[in-house]
Formats: sequence, C-alpha cells, structure tokens
Amino acid sequence: MSTVQTQPAILADEPPVSLWRDAWYRLKRNRLAIFGLCVILLLAFVALFGPYLTPYDFLSQDLEARNQAPSLAHLFGTDDLGRDVFSRVVYGTRTAFVVAVVVTAIALVIGTGLGAVAGFFGNPFDRVIMWLTDITMSVPNLLLVVVINASLKTPIAQWMEARYLETLNPFYRETVWIDFLLVFGSMALISWPPYARLVRAQVLSIRSRPYITAAQALGLSNRIILTRYVIPNALGPLIVAVSAGLGTAMVLESAFSFLGVGVNPPTPSWGNMISDGLRVWQHYPHLLAAPAAVLGLASVAFSFLGDGLNDALNPRGSK
Amino acid sequence: MLRYVATRFAIWIPSVLLVMMAVYALAFYGAGDPIKLIFLRAPGDVAYNPERIEAIRESAGLNKPFIEQFGYYVWNLLQGDFGNSLNSGRSVWAMVKAAAPVSFKLALCSIILTALVAIPLGMIAALNQNRRLDYIILGSALFLWAIPAYVAGPLLMVGLIVLLPGVNVPYGWGGVFDIRVLLPLLVLSFQPIALIIRQTRAAVIEVLSEDFVRTARAKGVPEVVVALKHILRPVLTPVVTQLGLIMITIVNGAIFVELVFGLPGLGRLTVKALTNSDYPVILAITLIGSFLVMISNLLVDILYPLLDPRAADAKRSR
Repeated sequence: MSTVQTQPAILADEPPVSLWRDAWYRLKRNRLAIFGLCVILLLAFVALFGPYLTPYDFLSQDLEARNQAPSLAHLFGTDDLGRDVFSRVVYGTRTAFVVAVVVTAIALVIGTGLGAVAGFFGNPFDRVIMWLTDITMSVPNLLLVVVINASLKTPIAQWMEARYLETLNPFYRETVWIDFLLVFGSMALISWPPYARLVRAQVLSIRSRPYITAAQALGLSNRIILTRYVIPNALGPLIVAVSAGLGTAMVLESAFSFLGVGVNPPTPSWGNMISDGLRVWQHYPHLLAAPAAVLGLASVAFSFLGDGLNDALNPRGSK
Repeated sequence: MLRYVATRFAIWIPSVLLVMMAVYALAFYGAGDPIKLIFLRAPGDVAYNPERIEAIRESAGLNKPFIEQFGYYVWNLLQGDFGNSLNSGRSVWAMVKAAAPVSFKLALCSIILTALVAIPLGMIAALNQNRRLDYIILGSALFLWAIPAYVAGPLLMVGLIVLLPGVNVPYGWGGVFDIRVLLPLLVLSFQPIALIIRQTRAAVIEVLSEDFVRTARAKGVPEVVVALKHILRPVLTPVVTQLGLIMITIVNGAIFVELVFGLPGLGRLTVKALTNSDYPVILAITLIGSFLVMISNLLVDILYPLLDPRAADAKRSR
C-alpha cells in the first residue's frame, strides 16, 4: 500500500512536461523521422555554407576534363562543359532551399491570413474564401504555374528593362531576379490553399473554447484574440503542414526547372541538371543520377519528417 | 436527389467559369498581342508594320474589350473550337484530339492499377497495425509519395538497362497492351498508390473500432469475411472521395512520364507548347486538365450520398 501513497508525491515533484518536450520525446523514438531530420539539417548546412566549401566554382569550365566519370578530384564527375557536378549539386541545394523557404513563407502568410479570417469572421468571408480555396486546389498546380510563368515572363522582363533604362541601375539587368520573382510568385499562388483550410478548421474548433469566450468577455479586440490566443493554439498541425510544404515546394521548384519554366541556367537547380542529364544518360549516367538521387533523398527526408511530426504533435489523430 | 445534383451543378458552373477567366486573363494580358506573336514567327516584316497589325486586329475582333473577347472564346469552346496553334497553324482541338486518347488510356489504367494494388495493401497494413508489415508498407508508401516522376522514371530506366542487358529502352507508345507501357504506367501510379494506401489504412483503422466489426468478430465470423464484407464496404467511401486528388497527381505526373518515356500524349503536347510559347495550346490543355479534376470532384460530390446515406441526411438537415 505504501507505493500507492508515494505515487502522487512523485508526480508532484516532476516538472510539468510541456507540449513541445512531449512531442520531441515522441519524435525521437521515430527512427525514420530522425533520419529525415538529419538529412534535412545536413542539406541545410550544405545550402548555407556549401558554396564556400566546394573546391570548384559552379560555373568554372574545364574544357579538358569534360564528361568525366566520378573520381576523387570530381566526386560526381564533370558535365559536358567540364563543370564540376558536385559543386553544381551543392549550389543547387542552395537554390532549392531558398525557393522552398521563401515560397512556403509567402504561402503560409497568405494561407494563414485567409484561413483565420474565414474561420473567425464566418460568412460571407468564409464562403468566398473557401470557394477560392476549392477552385485553386482543383486546378492541376503544375499547369497553373506553367500558364503563369509563360504569360508573365515577358511583361516582367519588359518592366525590368524599362526600369533599367530609366535608372541605369545594373540591378534591373539581373535576369536571376525575374526568375526568382516568377518562381516565388507563381508557386506561392498555388501553395496557400492547404494552409488556409487547415487554419480555418483549427480556428473553428478553437473559437468555441471557453478561453476565447473569456477573452471576448474581457473586451479584447479581435486582432489581439486572433494573434495571441487563436494562432498559437493552432500551431501544432501548422508545423506539420509546413514541414510537408517545404518538401513539396522543393520538389515543385525542380519540377519547373526540369520543364524549363523555373530557375534558368546557368544558375544550377536540381531540376535543370536532371533535364540536362536526361539527354545523355545512356553515356553519362552520373549526370542524371547525382542530382536525381539528391532530390529524391531530400524529398523522402521531408516526407519522413512530416509524417513523424504529425505523429508527435497530433498523437490523437495518428493512432 | 435530383435537387441535390442540380444544386451541386449550379455551384460547379461558376467555379469552372472563374478558372477559365483567370487562365484566359493571364494569357490575355501577359502573352501580348496574338497577331504580333503570329507574325513574329511568319516570314516577312508584318510584325513591325503597326498599321497592318492594327487592321488585322480589327478584322479579327481583337480590339474589343476583355469581357467580350472572353465571351467569344467561351462560346467557341462550347462548339469545340479552341482556336489555332500559333506555331503550326493547326486547330488546337485536332491536336488535343490526337493526343488525348494516349493520356486518357494511361490515366484510366493508372486508376485501375491504383485501386487493385493500394486498397488491399492499405487493408493489410491496417490489420497489422504497428507491426513490422505495417511499417514496411507505410514506409514504402511514404517513399513512393516523395519520389517525383521525373526522378523515378529515369532512374528505373537506368536500372532496367543495367540489370537486364539486352532489354530495349521502353520508349514510345504502342497501345495499352504493349509491353513498353509497363514502366510509364508504374511510375505514373506511384503517387496515387501511396495516397490510397495511407487513406485506406486510416479508414480501416477507424472502422475497426466500430461496433459492427466487434459484433461480427464476437459471433465468430472468419477474419477474412470480416475484412471483405464488414470493413471494405464502409472504407471505400472515404477512399473514393480522393478521386479529385488522384486526378491532379495523374495530370501532373503525365507531363513528366510522357516526356521521359516519349509518349505522344497531352503531357508532351504541354511541354512542346511551353517551349514554343504556343499560348492557345497551353490555354486549352490547362482548361482540359482543370476540367478533368473539377468534373471528378463533381462526380464525387454526386456519388457521395449514394455511397454513404448518412452524409445525405447530414446535408439535408444542414
């Protein structure tokens, strides 16, 4: 009987386990998720510091060492212009991460905003926003981005050229910015609906909780209730969605580069490296295999981590 | 029932119109003057003769306001006229009609393959929940979901050639019953299969805790009969609702699969139109793709109350 008596004392001594520590504990036990997390951290490190660590510049051509098989000097070999494939893959990691992070951030802001408004203020906002969400989700996203890219490239290029002639600022001549602007913009335009849906559902379930009623009774403004009470409580599922969204954005970016509507050469992107490699894969399979394998690895890592986070943060929904 | 279908349809029409308008507006304001685009490709210097251009524009009705031209476009669409390709001058409808069967057959086979493979696997995973078999199936599904078609396709091709020397590269189209269709079909089905495995697993796990399953087991019904008779039926309903999402992954995937494996379908037409900035073709294919997905969603909406009478009651009382 004595053990029964001591048990409450032990419980009281333990510090309260926060949601995040609890989630981290569950995540740690999921080996696939930890594998994903490690790969992502490694890739993020490569994206941040990689270009300073590679022995070659991603653009420097060595015409005497073209199409070489992988060796110690060139880990992934060289391409048809004698560029080091490893350096290009490393720089492609940076491109992929920049696009993934920026696109997810923009989509998250749009989606959270619209979803919160729809859920919090109800009709007619709710009906209109959800209608737009459904429509955006029902257009095949690749085709939509293709249309946006194909149609907005010329006007933006013309606008930039006009700015350049006006100001003679070389900044406006940098075509890389047009690429990034188009890629970011068009991808964000198709990526926000899942966030909007999720946030709306969260808000609807949170709105009826007593602490919101209490906050309203205290006379707090809608803005403060939204930012202080509703959004923080909706964070768990949102983190899962962001993890999945980062992976999706990364894959989408390379998909567009593969089709020639994303980041243009010579800026290396996994997608345009794969599409270059596809033309010569029978002779130089390493040109295809290296970027394809890294892209596959990154995508799988995000998928595993997202799934693990889902189990860790939403324990009720998963089992 | 009829009223329900009618309201669904009434909500559906403006959505389709809005998508058409958005896509048309992008091409209208972004692509620039179609007459100039045509003559920039044609021999001669008509493109730099503003008076001629203006005259042609007027005769083609291209100086009218946006709404009027859009209405004209929709009206022509309804009669099966998608305009002409900027590049070849051929009718876009003819180009689409030549390419569509390949894509449609592939998509249909992919849906059938998905249903045949993914639903049993999802059930097996759920019935072995949290055991090794479950983890293997679930892990593979996650893996298949994450691998893009343009990575899986080429890598499988390389693998096939390396492992089985003497095998021809599966390139080109010879109909659904041709051996070459196998690899593209497989790659195209990867993502749908992954999606349906996870969906089925989740649905089965939910049904397993229902009273009627416990009752069936308690009165000694064999496990196989429970799985096929009591569990499968209610599980199919949430799985069928994924049709729209599957359609999206197939339409997206077809672009890459057809490019990698050299199939003369809508996907390859898209890429070709894209590299040539052939706006009428891009416009037409985007509309067809969106239409396919939207009609799948409408179909699911209409079928849902038939599959699950409870949903119909809920909707009526709302």
